[in-house]
Amino acid sequence: MPAGAPLEDELEVPERRQSPLRMTVVRLFRHQLFLSGLVLFGLIAVVGVLAPLLTDINPNKLGMRTRFQAPDAAFLFGTDNFGRSLWSRTVWGAQLSMMIGLSVVLLNAVFGTLIGALAGYFPRLDNVLMRVNDALMAFPAILLAIAITAVLGPSIVNAILALAIVYIPRTARIVRASVIVLREMEYVQAAIAAGAGHWRILRRHILPNAMAPLIVQLSFLFAYAVLSEATLSFLGLGAVPPTPTWGNIMAEGRQYMVEAPWIITIPGIALMITVMGLNLLGDGLRDVLDPRLRIQQ
Amino acid sequence: MPRPTRLPFGLAAAMAATAAALLAGPASAAAFKCPHVGGDFVFGQEANVNSLDQPASSTISTRNVAMNIFETLLTRDENNNTITDLADSYTESPDRMTYTFKLRQGVKFHNGKPLTTADVVASFDRYNKIGLERSMFNNVASWDAPDASTFVIHMKKPQPTFIELLSSFSVPVVIVPAEDRDDPPMQLKTIGTGPWQLVDFVPGSHVKLKRYDGYAPNTKYEQRTGFGGYKQACFDTVTFRIVTEPGARVAGLQTGELQGVEDLPTKSLPELKKDKNITVVPLPNWWIQIALPNTSAPPTNNLMFRKAVQAALDMDEIMDAATDGNYKLNVGFQYPNQPSYTDAGKETYNLKNPKLAKEYLAKANYKGEPLVLLTNKDYPSMYNAALVMAEQLKAVGIKAELKVVDWPTSVTTMQNTTTGWNFFFTGYGTQPALGALATMVFFAPPNANYKPAPGKDDPDLLAAFRDMNDQPDPKARQAAFARMQKIILDNVYAVPFGSLTKVQGVRANVGGYVPFRIPRMSNVWFKN
Amino acid sequence: MAGIALRRLLGALPVLLIVSLITFALLRLIPGDPSSVIGGPSATADQLAQIRRNLGLDEPLPMQLVHWYAGLLQGNLGRSLLMGQGVVEVTFERLPVTLGLSLYALVITLVAGLASGIVAALRQNTWVDQLAMMVAMLGISVPNFFLGLLGIIFFAVKLGWLPTGGYVPFSQDPWEWFRTTTMPAVSLAMLQMGLLARITRSTMLEVLRQDYIRTARAKGLPGRQVVVKHALANALIPITTVIGIIVSLLISGSVVTETLFSIPGMGQLLTQAVLNRDYPMVQGGLLLTTVFLVLVNIMVDICYAFLDPRVRYDGK
Repeated sequence: MPAGAPLEDELEVPERRQSPLRMTVVRLFRHQLFLSGLVLFGLIAVVGVLAPLLTDINPNKLGMRTRFQAPDAAFLFGTDNFGRSLWSRTVWGAQLSMMIGLSVVLLNAVFGTLIGALAGYFPRLDNVLMRVNDALMAFPAILLAIAITAVLGPSIVNAILALAIVYIPRTARIVRASVIVLREMEYVQAAIAAGAGHWRILRRHILPNAMAPLIVQLSFLFAYAVLSEATLSFLGLGAVPPTPTWGNIMAEGRQYMVEAPWIITIPGIALMITVMGLNLLGDGLRDVLDPRLRIQQ
Repeated sequence: MPRPTRLPFGLAAAMAATAAALLAGPASAAAFKCPHVGGDFVFGQEANVNSLDQPASSTISTRNVAMNIFETLLTRDENNNTITDLADSYTESPDRMTYTFKLRQGVKFHNGKPLTTADVVASFDRYNKIGLERSMFNNVASWDAPDASTFVIHMKKPQPTFIELLSSFSVPVVIVPAEDRDDPPMQLKTIGTGPWQLVDFVPGSHVKLKRYDGYAPNTKYEQRTGFGGYKQACFDTVTFRIVTEPGARVAGLQTGELQGVEDLPTKSLPELKKDKNITVVPLPNWWIQIALPNTSAPPTNNLMFRKAVQAALDMDEIMDAATDGNYKLNVGFQYPNQPSYTDAGKETYNLKNPKLAKEYLAKANYKGEPLVLLTNKDYPSMYNAALVMAEQLKAVGIKAELKVVDWPTSVTTMQNTTTGWNFFFTGYGTQPALGALATMVFFAPPNANYKPAPGKDDPDLLAAFRDMNDQPDPKARQAAFARMQKIILDNVYAVPFGSLTKVQGVRANVGGYVPFRIPRMSNVWFKN
Repeated sequence: MAGIALRRLLGALPVLLIVSLITFALLRLIPGDPSSVIGGPSATADQLAQIRRNLGLDEPLPMQLVHWYAGLLQGNLGRSLLMGQGVVEVTFERLPVTLGLSLYALVITLVAGLASGIVAALRQNTWVDQLAMMVAMLGISVPNFFLGLLGIIFFAVKLGWLPTGGYVPFSQDPWEWFRTTTMPAVSLAMLQMGLLARITRSTMLEVLRQDYIRTARAKGLPGRQVVVKHALANALIPITTVIGIIVSLLISGSVVTETLFSIPGMGQLLTQAVLNRDYPMVQGGLLLTTVFLVLVNIMVDICYAFLDPRVRYDGK
């Protein structure tokens, strides 16, 4: 559509300012909540990435002679009922949590956006897609995840898939809402009138402007994903034991919660730090990127 | 006309008990009497109870509760001997084609209706439709009730083990009112003849029982024994509360919120033993912790490979992890306190010999094929055993990996497929307690636990099993069992690790609590 | 109002149909069947086969699906395979437990969440505000099973104040009900409380900035009256929508909490039913729960329309 091209350029992103990206970054780094979130989450992320350097003990190595050691100089975080080093398990657990959270977020970013954009943009698809969406959202989230992992069998990949399936409808809904609003905007209508292709309109005019709420949603989603995976593992439906996810460590430690409380406390606190970091991060992003969203969540 | 060929078991046992008591000193000739009556006994049970339909369910959690409510014609005493319970006596005809039972008089159901043989016929009819062990009736032609207190079973052909099967407490043939004959499976109305009657049952939460005031105890005995004997309800009510968290069971016992619990975690025992308010009561030989090979899939289809596995294992380490230290090393499928115990095959047990294992591996021409240990997280002892076994096998160069699924999945995988797994982890609980025959059924066709190809069962093993069933002489049957156990161990058709002790505990003011295959609520009371 | 309700109810029908189909398919895809649960570890192959026959599990799948929908059309949701009771009967036994617990948690949520949100907004940027928001942040960040475990260790084991678990119905002994449900309700409420406090605070701040509040203050109305009559009344509107979300979160949260504290509610029932492969129980129980959630949401929408006359519901 050669005729449409110049027109589109004129219409592109209303009220463009001097390097908005840079402005946003500056504002983010002035934002206290965002910064504290970044520190907390960054701590766990760095530990996760550096896991192989932080410990040379195999997290699954049994030590039947050093069972139930309370945290001390020899075992920084103590040992569990099989004498495995909890330091090593927690550190590797950080890596797994990051991996799981990131995978769920990426799957959501791709499929949530795709479904949400299609539903919001093509009214004919909307009905079908949103009915399935509503049905999936009608299940209590954790039960649906339990059922899906039960079908697929417990493993990290399957837990990721299950959580993605549970959360994609929620992401799609948010994207759809923005797309519906944006679609009615004058500049989009003008582009349609000018005969621009649907794909091009979506990609160049709609999706970039729907990004802000999506990014905010994804940061919270990361937190939910980490939390839900821990819950699944805790119920025995996440990663296959003895994989050292935090949920698994806590599930195995709960038998001994009275006599050896450190087994559940340490990964519990790690989990809390991660989730809190992400929540703070999300708050900051929302304040800066999308103030309108403050009351929703 | 059948003539009584032997003294009814129960009578013999009672006489023996009386004789022993007399020898021991001044015996109280009177039957047991509750030292104190009243109170609500709250028992913390680890596993959920779904249904109290005893004939349709073989879980231990169901039996725990149901066998305080229901009773059977025959049952087992403290030492696993067959005794009469609702039957007053029974006789076997010389040709072993007819069994005649006389009912005890004066027994009434919880709904007040007197027990007659019509109820017995109906209960057997229902069991024959839906009962899980109805195969025990394979050689039975029919049963009938010539009068209100006589019940007769007619055989198609003699079966020396029939009474042993009928008295089994695995899935007992409990006697229920005749009008419950057509209750669908899992929906049996909970009306029995036992000392306890149902008040309230909420699956996932609790079962509440109360004393049945119309209970007629079995006066042939003076004390409770096994599942039978002279039973008296001393508490007003008993509450089985489902407490799945081990930590919560410990805490509940400590605070007195629970007066009795099953399955205390070992880690808590030192502290509990110090507590004057608590009595810790171990129940040894609860089950045999075991792994079963899949002999239809490589590498476990290779005998030399299986022998390598056998040679590598250190049973102390495995059992220690599986049970947290509450175990006994044990050869084979019976326990030393049982008459049928044999240590045949002991030279294959607990070898912990990595060198030998490596020699066998070389003979097996093992090339590092993966060995999949199929276990589950629902039963921590099975998971723990698999974890340690994997570690020990890795140490001799076997590429062992865990496949952890949930219990239903692991059972289905084990039953329906012969690919994707090499060892299945489980526990043999009820069957070893019932005796050798009940246990060896696991290795009999069809569906023998070591997964031979259909129709390709080990012929030596088959012959031994036939002898265990058909030899008229109990000694010959026992010899056949020893032979069978040795074949199983020599060929590594099973890897029994040892026997697990289940530790129970009660508050110190609870009198008369003796742990058994079920927590017995009769003849137990609050002191003071 | 009735029109909205009816339209929403009709709109929910296809959703429920899809829910029931997804549930049926998911369940049959799960490997394993209930026989192994009824049989236990010691069951022989023979016993397992008999259990399957007893439960009708040897029926082909399409027949099971036909039976399920045929029953559904007659209003018959079938019977639990493991418990033998009717699905509806069990659900109506368990739902009140979860509702009671959720209601208790909801009260904690509303009282603590609204109060700390309002106070934080009124004392914006003071230490009160920061403390309240820190607690709220903790609330949304602590996994509820972790909080439950810590509660058991601390309040039940160490201090012995509360029971470690179990449940006593309110009708039987209100005090015991209170003792058994307090820890679960608090651990369940924490997340929602955090959410609500944050939302209340930001809506309040927005409302307080509005002209009519300033006018009211300028007129010399006492501060409390302004807050209660004007600010809170307006802040309630967005908060109402959140309550719909909170109710569904409570039901979700009860899955873990009820399992942890052995409370015989819907969450524990359905989790156990999935793990035990109790097909009719999961199918029926989820359908009923979904219907319940749909009804709650419709009610919330109606409240919303009622509270905020500017919103005219268009069904979107």
